[in-house]
Amino acid sequence: MTSVIGFGGVCIVVAVFGIFAFILSEVFPLFGKARLHETARVGFPGTSGGIIGLDEWSQLPFHYDGQRTLRFQPVNPAVNRAQQVTLTLPDAATVTSHRFDAEHDRLILGLSDGQVAVFQLKYTSSSAAKGTPVVTGTSFRERLLPLTPGLPVETADYKDAGDRKLVAAIQGKGGDAKLLVTALRQTRSLMGAGQVKMGERIDLTAKLEGQHPERLLIPGSADSLIVGTDRGEVFYLFSKGIGWEVRQHFKPFEGEGRQLGGIDLLLGDVSLVAWNAEGAVRIFSLFVPEGQTTRVFGQTKAFPPLAGGVLHYLPSQRNKSFALANDQVLRVCHATTEGVRASVKLAFRPVDLASDEKNEHLALLDPAGFLHLFEVDDPHPEAGFRAFFSRIWYEGSSKPKYEWQSTSGTDDFEPKLSLTPLIIGSLKGTLYALFFAVPIALLAAIFVAQFMHPEVKKVVKPIMEIMASLPSVVLGFLAALWLAPLIESRVPSVLAISLLIPLLSALLGFAWSRLPIRYRNLLPKGSEYLVLLPVVILTGWVGWQLGPVLERALFVTTTPEGGRIADFRLWWPQVTGTPYDQRNCLVVGFMMGFAVIPIIFTISEDSLSNVPPSIISASEALGASRWQVVRTVVLPVASAGIFSALMIGFGRAVGETMIVVMATGNTAIMDANGHLLLGEPGLGHGRFPLADHWNIFNGMRTLSANIAVELPEAAVHSTHYRTLFLGAMVLFLMTFSLNTAAELLRQRLREKFRVG
Amino acid sequence: MKRTASQRKHTPGEIQVWLCAAGLACGLLMIAGLLLLIFGNGVVVFWPKPISEFTVRSADGSESKISGELVKTQLRRTAEGGTKAEIQLFTGNKDAYGLGFRFIDKEAILSESRPEGLMLAERMEYGDALFHPVQLKRKDGATLPASAPEFQGTLQQRLDEGNRLRSRLLHLEKGRIGKINARIKAMELRIKELLAGGKSGTGPEVSALRDRIAREQKGFDTLVAESRQMRARLEEDELTVRLSTGEERTLKTGSIVYCYEPNRLSLIGKLGVFLHHVIEFATSEPREANTEGGIFPAIFGTFVMTILLALLVTPFGVIAAIYLREYASQGLLVRIVRICVNNLAGVPSIVFGVFGLGFFVYGMGAFIDGGTRIPLPPMWWFPVAIAFLVCLTGSILLAVQSPPAGAESENRRGFGTRLKPIVATLTVFLGVLTLFQCPYFHGFFSSSLPTPTFGTGGILWASLTLALMTLPVVIVATEEALAAVPRGVREAALACGASKWQTIQRVVLPSALPGVMTGVILAMARGAGEVAPLMITGVVKLAPSLPLDFEAPFIHAERKFMHLGFHIYDLGFQSPDSEAAKPMVFATTLLLILLVVVLNLAAISLRAHLRRKYQASAF
Repeated sequence: MTSVIGFGGVCIVVAVFGIFAFILSEVFPLFGKARLHETARVGFPGTSGGIIGLDEWSQLPFHYDGQRTLRFQPVNPAVNRAQQVTLTLPDAATVTSHRFDAEHDRLILGLSDGQVAVFQLKYTSSSAAKGTPVVTGTSFRERLLPLTPGLPVETADYKDAGDRKLVAAIQGKGGDAKLLVTALRQTRSLMGAGQVKMGERIDLTAKLEGQHPERLLIPGSADSLIVGTDRGEVFYLFSKGIGWEVRQHFKPFEGEGRQLGGIDLLLGDVSLVAWNAEGAVRIFSLFVPEGQTTRVFGQTKAFPPLAGGVLHYLPSQRNKSFALANDQVLRVCHATTEGVRASVKLAFRPVDLASDEKNEHLALLDPAGFLHLFEVDDPHPEAGFRAFFSRIWYEGSSKPKYEWQSTSGTDDFEPKLSLTPLIIGSLKGTLYALFFAVPIALLAAIFVAQFMHPEVKKVVKPIMEIMASLPSVVLGFLAALWLAPLIESRVPSVLAISLLIPLLSALLGFAWSRLPIRYRNLLPKGSEYLVLLPVVILTGWVGWQLGPVLERALFVTTTPEGGRIADFRLWWPQVTGTPYDQRNCLVVGFMMGFAVIPIIFTISEDSLSNVPPSIISASEALGASRWQVVRTVVLPVASAGIFSALMIGFGRAVGETMIVVMATGNTAIMDANGHLLLGEPGLGHGRFPLADHWNIFNGMRTLSANIAVELPEAAVHSTHYRTLFLGAMVLFLMTFSLNTAAELLRQRLREKFRVG
Repeated sequence: MKRTASQRKHTPGEIQVWLCAAGLACGLLMIAGLLLLIFGNGVVVFWPKPISEFTVRSADGSESKISGELVKTQLRRTAEGGTKAEIQLFTGNKDAYGLGFRFIDKEAILSESRPEGLMLAERMEYGDALFHPVQLKRKDGATLPASAPEFQGTLQQRLDEGNRLRSRLLHLEKGRIGKINARIKAMELRIKELLAGGKSGTGPEVSALRDRIAREQKGFDTLVAESRQMRARLEEDELTVRLSTGEERTLKTGSIVYCYEPNRLSLIGKLGVFLHHVIEFATSEPREANTEGGIFPAIFGTFVMTILLALLVTPFGVIAAIYLREYASQGLLVRIVRICVNNLAGVPSIVFGVFGLGFFVYGMGAFIDGGTRIPLPPMWWFPVAIAFLVCLTGSILLAVQSPPAGAESENRRGFGTRLKPIVATLTVFLGVLTLFQCPYFHGFFSSSLPTPTFGTGGILWASLTLALMTLPVVIVATEEALAAVPRGVREAALACGASKWQTIQRVVLPSALPGVMTGVILAMARGAGEVAPLMITGVVKLAPSLPLDFEAPFIHAERKFMHLGFHIYDLGFQSPDSEAAKPMVFATTLLLILLVVVLNLAAISLRAHLRRKYQASAF
């Protein structure tokens, strides 16, 4: 039996620690790097150049030879078969440029006779019950678009954004290069999509300030154009009505000789990736700079240079990752976190690079005509220490931010996973709760432990302890539906009450101590609180009524029309520039105080009561008054215990969930786009990135509330899910270490007085 | 010259003492205020309130009447900057007015009266109705005017009949039709399983099953027809009513649950209505997105979960405490373990919820449903399994060999004792690996996948999570109780020749029992009030069935359940009409607080009893 108990005991203790181990094991993969390994090799015999592409399942890669032949070769010949498609082009023309738009499976060919041919690739799959799907690939010509006749097309791009379609091309070489663009309009009627009409050809060469176009990109919205020139400048042209304007031109790499190696877009088409001959990679994102009204590119990221230069660039079709390759290395980076995810040494000089739609495979073509298929194992590219704890310059924002926004409706959304605002939210709620709870709890504990009659104490203490058992959902409900509307318009009253109560009590104490002893003897020592009960109620009522008076006197705002309104809710935003919410920190702090007061009270009362009576008696014998005893003897001796009480109270408040979920509204901190407001100009006018978050009159989101709200919706083992686990681990570590420190302190104290 | 104490006219530090007293007074007032607030608002919900009829002048000068129950009076800020008094009125008749509440400026009210004939009807849909009855129309066209003396009796009789019919309908739809549904579903699953198996010779069984499904379907159809008939009967009788606005409407008597005339009630009558409301609240199912009716499923769910929690936490907590206090050598390691266990009590509940979701629901639940996701290849699994068996045998051998109780002399605490925890840990680790990575187990509910059975939140997982969360409470309380058992008692038992386990079992544990119970009750109180971990491990706003019923296997550990605390959250924050839900929230809150406070008081009194007992035995 002994052993059974022992075994069971050990098991339970191990299991309890398993919690931490389990959460850690869930979090751990977040910090892992990506893994790349070669899984298959497919031969395209007799080819040396050209481009390649992959289907969604990485079963049937294709190779385009640069002229008219498109070949599909199966990875697994037992399941799929090889196919060949000949592209139909005008007889006289040869292909002078080609581009594969993997996101839309489009092959865009520039022809020698000045036309642009757009081919659509189509894969169909009939998936067998298990195993690899059967895939067939075809291609058909979507459009043939004539530009300047007779001039060979050096670079062409085409984007289809539904109603708007845009084709652009660079025709001619070197000094004769011309930039041409044409919009296509499709009429829509009740009968469905109608005829596509080609608009006027516009020659934009003159807009380039005498520079010659070399590179060309059309973002997915098909309303703008990004052009790289021979002098290493990038022009951002925007269509305005029927004309075009240069919205911006900039040099991605300043200085002489720092030539532009190439430019391309990231998934979502709001970030431009530029690299130079030395292999340095920079990312420029579209955002509205402060004080301006239009979106322009600005540098947001820089990556360590890839030794040997960048030969190929490939954006992921699933997230903000991209792959870089040269004749030595294949490197996978993630744009958001500015991190290198993986690097693989290459034994050949790659001819082309391709990836599948799910970003599960990368393919490289070697000069001998072999396609090397790499499996990419990178489940959490957007995670990492940087993503969770540092400021990141997200796409579309005008400066680096700490931000949490885990989900959104679109596919090309950039998850913002900074835990910093959540940690600060937790600390903020805790701070305000302690601000309110600590004075009440400590003062009450001192009174109960030192001044109160022991018989009364036996009743009062359990009453305070019952408060500890009030379910937090009840407190949260009261905070949100009762307290928040109640004090919304009465903030001045709250201020008045919180000032009046201590003031009046102190005054009463002062007056009492000046009374002759025979009056004082009427009230037995230790029952002062009974006198104060009605006084506090009365003061509360007076303060409540005084609030509006104070408001009229102090918190007056002027409206634009010149009227004067006495309303704190308007006054606060006008003076501090930060919002005032109905469900704010004041409410949370007050209600969380209810949860924290009994804990601090109980523990500190215990430690105050445990001060050896001998030293109290000794100091009383020396003629100290009861407060002098407390101040000089009891408090110093019990200080460690009180401190540990504060820490445990802190731990409880940090992890409090339901009160925060309910009383902060949880949505109040989001702006219209669902972003957490943080680092916006407000308190300190944006100079201190985190200052705004400490505003007492707005809401917040805490780690715990965030978990409770988002975890049910997070997909199992996704980055979002694991990040929420990381949040839980942060909470666990915070409270566990605080409590351990408090416990050690208390034990120390106990030992000390046992000896004494 | 320095003044000495005797020369002082007043004691120094009195101000501080009074400040301390103010702190205590604030604390006490806060608790009292909170409890009073909840109690007041909670009880008032059930008490019938008078209904007033107001004559109101609208902006265009016309007069109209509206009746309702006064909710509150408040000040409204006007556009000009001044304030105006307005009242909030619960008008009911959501179907007629569109809203259940209305704000009226106080100065617009011309007169107020309390007509005795005004009736309040609680309905199945659209909340309460407030009206003057006009006549009762039977299905045969016979009418009975409200002025007739037998009107009240007849109406009451029709309502009773309707309520009876509804309960029969409920029994029919949930009970009999539900059972047929379950049978059909089980058979369809079996067919799917057979077909997926792809084995030959299953044809006859499949067709037999299909026949049986067809037969069941026939029975199903007759029952559905019967229920449709009953529903039609509920629609038969009509009550014509006149609203205060003057509009005439007809209500089906079958849709009215309860009806009374609030302004005519005597005190006894009010008490009757009050009791009716309380009983309905505690025993009936919720209606209208939980804002009306009762909360029986939530009470029951909380009860079952708390009991399950107590059943799970008690043995584990007690065993761990006995081990830590009685068996483990009290060295540094045990001290560390003890501190850690204590501090687990301070870890936020949501962290346990996260663990519960990850480990129990997505780990163990998914495993029970469909086996392991990534099994060990057999060539790895077999060695692991063998290693596990070896370790298991080893730990059993070590256990058998261990010294008899009480004879822990220094020389026996050698190699074996040191080895024990290591071997035990290894055994557990390998056991988990063997079990959870088994390539030959494909789950008990794989046929119903991808619909999860255990792989989604449920009452078992919720209880387990909360059990884990409250484990430290029980361990700490039990340890304290064990430590409080006087040494003399143990020594006496040992001196009588009892082994260590016999001493613990017969002497120590019984006298520590009140302490253990205190711990368990405190754990139950904490578990009953906790919501955050439940939100992610299996609580729902409306559960179709109870976790414990008369259908085999009686305890449905995989079912989702309703919970009082979550009910509060859901009603207050997810409800479409949170203003209408407020009374229900207060009533539910009152119930939850009562539950938690009663549990706590029980624990506190037990503790006090325990203290007295040991204080006495010390002499």
